[in-house]
Amino acid sequence: MKDLERPVANPEVVLREEFDDWAVLFDPDSGEAYGLDPVSVFVWRLLDGDHTPPEILEKLREACEDGIPDEAPEHLSAFIEDLKSKGLAGHAEQL
Amino acid sequence: MPEKEKKKERKIEAPECGYHLNQIYFYLTQGCNLKCRHCWIAPKYQTEETTWPALDFDLFKDIVAQGMELGLSGVKLTGGEPLIHPDIEGILDYLPETGLRLTIETNGTKCSPEIVEKILRNRSPFVSVSLDAPEAETHEWVRGVPGCFEAALEGVRNLVRAGLRPQIIMSVMRRNADGMRALVELAERENAESVKFNLVTPTARGERMAKSGETLSIEELIDAGYWVENTLAPASGIRVVHSHPVAFRPLNKIFTKPDGRCGIFGILGVLGNGKYALCGIGETVPDLVFGHAATDRLADVWNRNPVLNDIRKGLPSDLEGICNDCLMKHMCLGSCVAMNYYRSKDLFAPHWYCDLAREAGLFPPSRIRPGSASDAAAASR
Repeated sequence: MKDLERPVANPEVVLREEFDDWAVLFDPDSGEAYGLDPVSVFVWRLLDGDHTPPEILEKLREACEDGIPDEAPEHLSAFIEDLKSKGLAGHAEQL
Repeated sequence: MPEKEKKKERKIEAPECGYHLNQIYFYLTQGCNLKCRHCWIAPKYQTEETTWPALDFDLFKDIVAQGMELGLSGVKLTGGEPLIHPDIEGILDYLPETGLRLTIETNGTKCSPEIVEKILRNRSPFVSVSLDAPEAETHEWVRGVPGCFEAALEGVRNLVRAGLRPQIIMSVMRRNADGMRALVELAERENAESVKFNLVTPTARGERMAKSGETLSIEELIDAGYWVENTLAPASGIRVVHSHPVAFRPLNKIFTKPDGRCGIFGILGVLGNGKYALCGIGETVPDLVFGHAATDRLADVWNRNPVLNDIRKGLPSDLEGICNDCLMKHMCLGSCVAMNYYRSKDLFAPHWYCDLAREAGLFPPSRIRPGSASDAAAASR
């Protein structure tokens, strides 16, 4: 994943948030549902086609009082790639 | 290489039906030494003078041997009360030779140090002991036999002393619901591994309790589940689990601590009379009895029984009602097909808990599939 790419969430996918900051992500095409932890929800909201992964990381760093782990860039990259492989995210021109 | 190691090394191909038989639930006895008013199996009361059939030990061994050819990796001994089986010591001595994981569900009253020692020789033993209150009066009101509270507690202590911390299971009903926190505190003091709160299912004796108002309403059940998950469990020093359906569990628990889901595709029941069944439900629902171990080969039942194959083909796609509209259906699988069938004579009927919640407008909206009938109904409230 290139740092300049601006990932975007599939607009057909539904995010249903719950009281404890987790959320269910539902793909109406496949009928599959996924659980997102609070950090993933935070990232999902920034998949708007306007933020690059480094920018998302920076926002995550600002939001986390205790900082973010050193592996965060790799985790973020893997998360976005996983979303893309499931058709839940892509790049603006793909959707 | 020891025989056990050879078995671990052996790879079992998937049987003809495509599913390994992972675990057999042995309902070892048709009798029980207690008279629990909520029991969904409704065994006959057994005393020293009056005994009821128990699974023949040789038949047990034969079933286990056949099961291992189908991929069996564990057995659950339950009942009735498994520890009153006349050959329980032989069973516990035999099982280590098989290398199978052992799970026991017991009322604890017969958990002597000698029995515990035999349990410990098995692979990965897990024992749950039923305690329906933190004090004798209520527990014995539920279980119907004076003195059984202290006997169960002694069973817990025998297990803990031997290094095998049991899970304590409480079936929650109107009479004992106020004691849930105190039960967890007792479990902590006794150094139990965990506490699990079970629902009283509307089956057999549980059905009678529900009709007479002795069980909690769906509103009360949902409140209790929420309280356990979000207040009681986080504050407890031991693991605390609630057996409400997956749709009612916090996502963080579903994805980090998967618990208590019925492994429907990999289990089979054997009743105390030797019959094969979906599970203990076979004691009350003849449709879910699949044959007899004395006359039917286990492989034939496992691979070819039409009910089992219907379940394999139909779950979760053929689930109905709220279960069909639930985002958790792929992991919940209808929560308990046996209970669903008991209630509706339909394997894919919605689960009673979720159906009642839907009727009351209490099914979690975030878990309903967008665009489904249940979604529309929830939106119109």
